[in-house]
Amino acid sequence: MMDLRGASPGQGEAAAPAPAVRFAPQVSHGDIRELRGPLLVVGGVHGVGWDEFATVDMARGECRHGLVLEVDHDLATLQVLESTDGMSLEGIRIRFDGRPLHVQVGTEWLGRVCNGRGEPLDGGPPVTGTATLPVSGWPLNPVYRDPPQEPVLTGISVIDGLATLVRGQKLPIFSVPGLPHLTLATQIAAQATAGGQTFRVVFAAMGLTHADIAYVRDRLEERSAGGELTLLLNAADDPVIERILTPRIALTIAEHLAYTEGHDVLVIMSDMTSYAEAVREVSAARREIPARRGYPGYLYSDLATLYERCGRVKGRDGSVTIVPVLTMPGGDITHPVPDLTGYITEGQIVLSQDVAARGIYPPVDVLSSLSRLMRSGAGKGRTREDHLDVAAQVLAALARARQATELAELVGEAALSETDRSYIKYRTLVEEGLFDQGRDEVRSLADTLDRAWAALAALPKQELTMLSTALLEKYLPKGDDGE
Amino acid sequence: MTMLSPEADGALAPIREALRSAADEEASELREAARQQVIALLADSREQAALIVAAAVKDGEAAARSEAALRSSRVRREANELVLAQRSRLLQELRQQLRTRALTLQHDQRYPALVNALTQHCLDLLGAAASVSMSPDGGVIGEAGARRLDLSLPILAGMTLESMPEARELWNL
Repeated sequence: MMDLRGASPGQGEAAAPAPAVRFAPQVSHGDIRELRGPLLVVGGVHGVGWDEFATVDMARGECRHGLVLEVDHDLATLQVLESTDGMSLEGIRIRFDGRPLHVQVGTEWLGRVCNGRGEPLDGGPPVTGTATLPVSGWPLNPVYRDPPQEPVLTGISVIDGLATLVRGQKLPIFSVPGLPHLTLATQIAAQATAGGQTFRVVFAAMGLTHADIAYVRDRLEERSAGGELTLLLNAADDPVIERILTPRIALTIAEHLAYTEGHDVLVIMSDMTSYAEAVREVSAARREIPARRGYPGYLYSDLATLYERCGRVKGRDGSVTIVPVLTMPGGDITHPVPDLTGYITEGQIVLSQDVAARGIYPPVDVLSSLSRLMRSGAGKGRTREDHLDVAAQVLAALARARQATELAELVGEAALSETDRSYIKYRTLVEEGLFDQGRDEVRSLADTLDRAWAALAALPKQELTMLSTALLEKYLPKGDDGE
Repeated sequence: MTMLSPEADGALAPIREALRSAADEEASELREAARQQVIALLADSREQAALIVAAAVKDGEAAARSEAALRSSRVRREANELVLAQRSRLLQELRQQLRTRALTLQHDQRYPALVNALTQHCLDLLGAAASVSMSPDGGVIGEAGARRLDLSLPILAGMTLESMPEARELWNL
């Protein structure tokens, strides 16, 4: 077997099954100096490191957990994951794990519903696994990466047809509050497949309201019951430090399912803006110097440590594909979170209020959306021979249709040329026939492409300059007069 | 008031006839136009009604499908949660039994040797100045200032269970 030591996300598994490590008895520390908001300061500690995980034993047998935020001589500051409500300085003892948070990984995660730190919410026993891995992941040697390839089909026309998601890609959804991004994210999670491969989904919800969490559970129940989905749910009122762990736990589970179990895994992370706000809050608690809009200067590299965990690894069957969902405050695409995300990811799907106002679901602004790796996942031998050309033609025609619509607003539709009027008709057809889709509707790729051709048929043949004669002959629907 | 002469009546008759005929023709045309309009309106209304009914049927079917899927999902979730709750109970039961059995180790003939080993372990970790006392649950508890090491038997038993991945088969059956 290929030696990936120091390179592969799965490399730690065979080396040290960590349950045995946990058996080491832990010295507890009872010199609690201060309780301040979610922070707890303990004295008399030595050899404790940043981000180290700890267990907080309380007087009546209750157990909470914490993460070391800061170490100063023999003082350690912890953020308590379950908050410090009801705690007093007396009777608290801290046991340090001696390492950052680790989780047990394995197929037992599938079908389970847990909170943002991986504890069961479904009434079941704690999730156990075949290996224990650090949630921060292993650095992956770049030369062991395989480029993303082959499509992940979501059953959603506007994505599959025009911004195809590729196995191993990271493709964010940029949205604004109030738009149905959660509906779209759950629809992708419920419907996505990768032709012929075993497909698994890890859904990491961050900072969602309880109503949204109930909605997510309902929408994904079928896939969850089928043992194909893991749900990690961090609510808006859960501690922010837990929100920082949630995507890391999700990716650790996904990496094991992909690179050890051989599945294609889709990780959906919603909402990354909420995650970034948690990073900002923790950074403020650590008294770090704030950068743009109060976010820490390392926000870019922090986001990169998450997004860069997607991909494919040489010699391994599976893949990790990431779809982060971001809400842009005030629709501002220059906000640090979408801005920095855009540097790292490979394209974006942009949701627009204007499109939503026209009653189209999903309200994707197709002219602002792009999958940079689409060529690796679509076309002959991957989807269908006409896919890339049709997508290019649909987008080009839509850009022209938008100009024609603006012109019609100025001079009236009657004053337009016959060709311009056909573009306006095309726009209606493509929006109603191709882009607009039911919230539970699954469309095959062939259906999607046929709908695109049906809309293109509204244009004069000479306008379809991006499509070869052979493709036009084969796929363009014939009119009543045979044209 | 001046009346027309009886001769004039006869002379006007063709004009009256022509006027009546023209009025009848116009009325007929109006009737026909109205009839055509009614037919067109009815056809248009029927078409619109059919579209509305079709859309309503489609929406209704979609809503019913969603509702059925939702109910089915929730029932499945409840069933799954029953299974998971049972597994949790099994795990709790296992932990409880383990704790009870661990307490009985105090009466085992090897217990003094175990206490000695645990005491030594405490001193190794906390330093020679640490004080080590017997735990009420069996085993020992070491303390050095604010540092404490709990090596009582139920704690050790719990840690042993967590360190045995194969044990999960007992509650995941």
